[in-house]
Amino acid sequence: MRVVIAEDLALLREGLVALLREHDIEVVAQAQDGPGLLRAIAGHNPDLAIVDVRLPPTHSDEGLLAAIEARRRRPELGVLVLSQYVETAYASELIGENTAGIGYLLKERVGDVRAFIDALHSVAAGGTVLDRQVVTQLLAAPDADGEGTLPALTVREREVLELMAEGRSNSAIAESLTVTAGAVEKHITNIFSKLDLPAGEEDHRRVLAVLAYLRVAPSGGVSR
Amino acid sequence: MDGSSQPALDLNLAPPARARRWMPALAAGLSLGQYARSLVHRMAFLSALLLLGIWALAGQGYFWPAWAWLGLGDLVLLDLAAGWAWRRPPGPVRRVACVWTVVGVAAVILIFTWLLTWLLAGAQTFWPGWALLGLATAGSAYSLFALQDRVLVAHGKRALRARVELLTRTRRQAVLAQAAELRRIERDLHDGAQARLVALTLQLGRAELRVADQPEVSELIKDAQREASLAIAELRDLARGIVPPLLADRGLVAAVESLAARYGLGTTIDARTHRSLAPAVESAAYFVIAEALTNTAKHADAQHSWVRLGDGNRELLVLVGDDGRGGANLNGSGLAGLRARVEALDGHMLLESPAGGGTLVEVSLPCG
Repeated sequence: MRVVIAEDLALLREGLVALLREHDIEVVAQAQDGPGLLRAIAGHNPDLAIVDVRLPPTHSDEGLLAAIEARRRRPELGVLVLSQYVETAYASELIGENTAGIGYLLKERVGDVRAFIDALHSVAAGGTVLDRQVVTQLLAAPDADGEGTLPALTVREREVLELMAEGRSNSAIAESLTVTAGAVEKHITNIFSKLDLPAGEEDHRRVLAVLAYLRVAPSGGVSR
Repeated sequence: MDGSSQPALDLNLAPPARARRWMPALAAGLSLGQYARSLVHRMAFLSALLLLGIWALAGQGYFWPAWAWLGLGDLVLLDLAAGWAWRRPPGPVRRVACVWTVVGVAAVILIFTWLLTWLLAGAQTFWPGWALLGLATAGSAYSLFALQDRVLVAHGKRALRARVELLTRTRRQAVLAQAAELRRIERDLHDGAQARLVALTLQLGRAELRVADQPEVSELIKDAQREASLAIAELRDLARGIVPPLLADRGLVAAVESLAARYGLGTTIDARTHRSLAPAVESAAYFVIAEALTNTAKHADAQHSWVRLGDGNRELLVLVGDDGRGGANLNGSGLAGLRARVEALDGHMLLESPAGGGTLVEVSLPCG
């Protein structure tokens, strides 16, 4: 797998490069800002771009905008956006119309190396990986009964839902929660029936079904 | 002491019924004090006429009634002047009026005494001129001092106004600088401590893979990673409390749109502001809107809610409303703390929330 990295903090960039090389992932170019990223993608034709949201010169959302632009130019490119915070608005912009090959993770997820490398492969192969914080934030919006916007999910079901959003397989979820794969399947069936979603979807498609339900898509009530 | 207090003698008390019968003016609404004074004035006038009659009948000659007239006139003058002074508003103004009454009446008595002496002595050399000159000199000297006093007072007022302006300006600068400083701290956390902790978890993750065959070491490293993750999460919450990332990245309108979308209230957003806002103003507006929408979501049971942002005359106007059950109380909600924040920026916050009549939060925040 061939990867470009856009990250302005040298400490993190070098750490990432070392980590990826240890796992036989080839870092073909490193960029420090948005235009640099677009040039690197055009020049090296990578399978995946790993992009920090905040990049110079203004350190606001240049990385995200560059990632979206890169996807517009090359829809088959996998893009994994890393950030120190999660904004659901960014997730929905990133997903846009083309749901394949998208990742949005908190930077600290790199600490769980195996899951991180899995996520890279998944995104490069056209999967969808969204940080569990996206789900947490969507569930955190207050409601009249203080329960959040979802029908009452159990704590375990929420955990399963969050890990599903990260694009993990049933067995990976089971391992992470130290339960059996059968138990995970039961939870997933419960979640889908509580949310009234069609069951039986696999991998990233089921994630998207859930996220669509959670209104990651832009709200229709907003006007200017 | 028996605890009861004797009522003070009040000349303005309503007179008894019998007095009213004998004194029709009292019945017509004049107070006892006013009636007594008008009586004194009339008696003075009658005495003056009486003395003139006696002088005329006694063969005229030296016009002695003038001295009695002077005495009577002095009394009336003093009474009128005192009445005028007493009608001034209480406090320093009345004290100054009293002083002027005493000085003025004394001066008039003095001048008339001199003039009378001069006239009755046959109006020869006008010697009172010297006395008048002296009086005028004293008066002028006093007026000069008084004038200087007024100049000083005016100067004091000017100084006070300048001080208020200075304090207003410096307070605003301090609040704005504080907000900008907080944003800088947020940026420093992001690029500094948070980034280092992320690098730390990354290195720990790499290390952990290398000791996969030593479960105890592996477990220690995982513990260290969990601690680092908690530290990162705490820093992230801290930074979000200073300024939500979307607000820092894209400004007020984008942040409010995202907020409204998250609450799922179908909130209508009408943003007509084109100002570039100072961080303090932007943050205050954002947190007010967030709190108001939270209240709407939690308590209002509303069909519709809306947020309006507009540019006023050198101010940002924020309206957050819903058609819910109303009855919100400024003191009972998180809005109280935000009102202090708004007022520190010289802004205003109004809450209208009649029971059953929806809730409207209105905020104006001065800009520049």
